[in-house]
Amino acid sequence: MLIRLVGGDVIDPINGDTSQRDVWIKDGLLVDPPSGEGANETHDVSGCIVMAGAIDIHSHIGGGNVNTARLLLPEQHAAHLPRPANTPLSNAGWSTFQTGCLYAQMGFTTVVEPAMAPYTALHTHLELADIPIIDKAALAILGNDDFTLSLLRNGKSSAMLDDYVAWVVGSTRALGVKVINAGAAAAFKENVRSFSLDDTVPEYGVSSRKIVKSLQASVTRLGIPHPLHVHANNLGIAGSADTAAETIAATEGVPLHLAHLQFYGYGTEGKRKFSSEAARLAELVNANPDVSIDIGQVMFGQTVTISSDVMRQFSAIGNASPKKTVIMDGDGNGGGGIVPYRYKQDYYGSLQWAVGLELFLLINDPWRVYFTTDHPNGAPFTAYPELFELLMSSDARDAKSTELNATALGLTTLGSVRREYTLEEIAIMTRAAPARLLGLKDRGHLGAGAIADVAVYRKGRDIAKMFREAALVFKNGDLVVKNGKVTHYRWGKALRLNPPPDKAMIKRMKDYHEERYGLSLDWFTFPESAIQRPEPFAEVSCNS
Amino acid sequence: MSVAWIGSQPVSLMDAIRNAAKLLASSRCPVFTLDTDVHGTRSAIALAERLRGAYDHRMGEVLAREIALYSNSGGMFTTPGEARRRSGLIVLVGEIPAAHHDLLQAWAASQPDLGDRGKRTWFHIHGEAGVTKLARQLKAVALGAEDLSLSGALAVLRAELQGRQAGVSLANTAQLRKALARSRFPVFVFSGDSGDAPSLAMLQGLVADLNKTGRASSVFLPADDDAWGAALTSLWMTGFPPRTGFSNSLPSYDPVRWDVQRMIRDKEADLHVWVSARGCETPPKGGKVTVICLSCTEAPAAGAAVTIAVGKAGVDHDGVAYSSRVGTFHAIAATAPSLLPSVCSIVQQLAGALPGRKALPC
Repeated sequence: MLIRLVGGDVIDPINGDTSQRDVWIKDGLLVDPPSGEGANETHDVSGCIVMAGAIDIHSHIGGGNVNTARLLLPEQHAAHLPRPANTPLSNAGWSTFQTGCLYAQMGFTTVVEPAMAPYTALHTHLELADIPIIDKAALAILGNDDFTLSLLRNGKSSAMLDDYVAWVVGSTRALGVKVINAGAAAAFKENVRSFSLDDTVPEYGVSSRKIVKSLQASVTRLGIPHPLHVHANNLGIAGSADTAAETIAATEGVPLHLAHLQFYGYGTEGKRKFSSEAARLAELVNANPDVSIDIGQVMFGQTVTISSDVMRQFSAIGNASPKKTVIMDGDGNGGGGIVPYRYKQDYYGSLQWAVGLELFLLINDPWRVYFTTDHPNGAPFTAYPELFELLMSSDARDAKSTELNATALGLTTLGSVRREYTLEEIAIMTRAAPARLLGLKDRGHLGAGAIADVAVYRKGRDIAKMFREAALVFKNGDLVVKNGKVTHYRWGKALRLNPPPDKAMIKRMKDYHEERYGLSLDWFTFPESAIQRPEPFAEVSCNS
Repeated sequence: MSVAWIGSQPVSLMDAIRNAAKLLASSRCPVFTLDTDVHGTRSAIALAERLRGAYDHRMGEVLAREIALYSNSGGMFTTPGEARRRSGLIVLVGEIPAAHHDLLQAWAASQPDLGDRGKRTWFHIHGEAGVTKLARQLKAVALGAEDLSLSGALAVLRAELQGRQAGVSLANTAQLRKALARSRFPVFVFSGDSGDAPSLAMLQGLVADLNKTGRASSVFLPADDDAWGAALTSLWMTGFPPRTGFSNSLPSYDPVRWDVQRMIRDKEADLHVWVSARGCETPPKGGKVTVICLSCTEAPAAGAAVTIAVGKAGVDHDGVAYSSRVGTFHAIAATAPSLLPSVCSIVQQLAGALPGRKALPC
């Protein structure tokens, strides 16, 4: 099957400047214009822009905590109803099936679930496998489990830590490693209520910094393409910018990805002791090429916060709206908290909104800043179209600002920042850069040989509308969306690394689980056939 | 050996599928009762969606109570693994289903290696039903009072632990208070069978109180592991737990409206698809609806219009099921592989035999 997209403005920063050219798809891949071969299918995309399919590097789309959130809020998520206003996730489909469709309609073709607890990996992959159309991936959580902490406490070799990390990544079929408030979940079980970078985990005597640095080094040594994905300490509290600054400084020449930086962009100035430190953090990011970040933009309305940072979520119980929560002390890296929350256009909400936009606009390099709302923590992913508009139009920001708390905005630089993202920068931030960050060489661009993940948007003044309803979307060459509607179901794959497991580590894991849990290792691992879809995984290479 | 029947007559599987598909296609309101593994559940929910039917679990009543705990108030929980490894103080709440007794006995035979190291202490809070056999086996210290229901006992205990006056007092509260002071991670173990909804909510209030200054948590052991697995599966597939219907093609959750047994009693349903691939049970007698029975049976189900024999996950074929041993799903390998089809494969064949012959997404 040869498909030709004719007459579109192709925005493909990896392969050159924006230009009007045809895009050719053959058997699921992008190809150079064939000589002497006619297309079986031609789509006139004049008046449209053509980009690679978008990639979301941090969106909580599946797994134990996401499902618990569904359980906690059955009356309100209304994912499948005709969008009643002001209910949690009322504008985000909340089943796996809706998730895939809604992402595809916006031109997203790959999405990463950033928090897979290793012991619930099968659950996560069962959910991911039921998300249609798009490819998925998951990051395995490490850094709060007894095994890691014991290795560090006991001064075991870095090679042993590497073997363990490789075993976890391989057995859970992860694409990378995430650490969440390193050590805090373990400390919370010992009744510690706050935890900073240089605090130590009781019983282990290991600092959060030591955990982060050890895992960062291990991920690098193993050649895992995606740098350690760090959810830092002190999320969401006034003064958290200091923690973020310390974490950025702790990179020390080794790559590190800081998740949802917006939630750390807070200082302690002003009458309410809650101010923006976005400009300072942006400067630090600009000055440190080893750091990449995603934003976790706040958009207004009802949502539910879902995080494995159980200490933080426990402290947020009082802010729950509606007043019900689930707090789970999980095994090792599992667990977390589900706290529904409504972002209001008051002082605090306005400041959070502005901090996210400041970070987007003040960090210069679109290759190191990633487009996320930390779905659903800052906002459901279905708010992306409006966020694109805010980034691309200072007028849109000004208009929204008039509705918000002027005192809060006065403590930010947002009003003075007139930068507007170009389509090329959007293509970098949402396509080329995420592919590079995750080590996905086969996507994020429109060069020959890439998989044919293509999003076509009809140009128009209404930026949000343009990105909400893609004119055409191809996934692996299959036309899946037309005029913003899903036209064809297909099943994507979960992208995974497959580092070879060390035999001694497997033996050690068997002994550990039998001794500590009284169960064989089989209880905690699973064969690929358990997913019951044909070829549910696709392997991504580690760096050599 | 026959594997398919129309009425009581053995037929080929294909004939049974065709006949069942006709019944499904002509039904105005088909309802599904589920009792199968994750993949059987996925396929049955997908078929219910296709037919605009409704689904419930065989253990729908107790499952609804367990779901209500989460959806009404939430709570603080931990996993069985973490409780085993960390907690030296276990408080059993009411009756714990027999299916979990081995798990708790295994905890009793081990010592926590994290948190509370050393010997484990057991308590048992009970209502009028009195001390359970399990509690006696575990030498649990009884917390209760005559004529107090479980929710009453929990309320009194909660008040006493908070230093508030209560009209009655429980036995051994002082002993529990001392144990709580010693323990770094006390855990309350309960199930949906432990008590009614107010009891479970009161228990979570008690746990929340303890977490104001210290740590405590609860382990939820479902009344039925497979039912809980079906609830989790349903949640990701539709956004809702069982007792969900698709009357307007969109899923809606309503534990009263979509109570399948009620729908049958009230003659709202005209076709009942009974899926029992675990306990191999036959549909309850007395209903007047047409029944399609998918069960691990060797004989036709009495009163069923169509019966199809299916295999058991973990016995006849591989599967995935929820287990309280790990507090999540685990893969189960077939212990005696057979040619009996899985629920999933039969449901897919049924979908394929419906008008339009569209494949299911699961």
